[in-house]
Amino acid sequence: MITTHTLTAYLHKVLPDAVVSVTDRTGTMDHFSIRVVSDLFKGKNLMDRHRLIYGALGEPMKDGRIHALEIKAETTDGS
Amino acid sequence: MASPLEDEIQAEIKQHKILIYGKGTKAMPMCGFTRETMQFFDKYGYPYELIDALPNPAKREALTKMTNWPTLPKVFINGQFYGDTDILDPMEKKGEIEPLLKDAFQNG
Repeated sequence: MITTHTLTAYLHKVLPDAVVSVTDRTGTMDHFSIRVVSDLFKGKNLMDRHRLIYGALGEPMKDGRIHALEIKAETTDGS
Repeated sequence: MASPLEDEIQAEIKQHKILIYGKGTKAMPMCGFTRETMQFFDKYGYPYELIDALPNPAKREALTKMTNWPTLPKVFINGQFYGDTDILDPMEKKGEIEPLLKDAFQNG
């Protein structure tokens, strides 16, 4: 279980410009769908964008605060 | 030097054109994402294999290292790593999956 605020703070450590939308998929605040928009994704393929996000959220994923995560990663121009 | 576990994984990747490392079995997927991934490939009608990575933590660790990808399921198509449905869904929208699978099963 993690708050939207804390989850977003983890992402901002690695992607300071990111606009993050968090959806709680199960009502238990541990299964999330997130959309991350950041221009730091520019020039990176989808898998590397996801690796950046997994890296940023490594701690709460390892300790179980985040159990499941669905990711959408985009740049501000929608690519 | 590749570890025996890596060799085992490489052999499995080679053996199955579509391979999912997931949680549970086809009859009883233990995770929503594993089920979603099966449903993703069910649409296309090509055979796929699901290998349950839950009972083998050392193998999960080896897989994570090989792919630099921390989560299950992990999908391999024709020996290539394609992440999970977060990656496959956008590829599908761009029409990239059908030709990829066709090529894998015809020429691979």
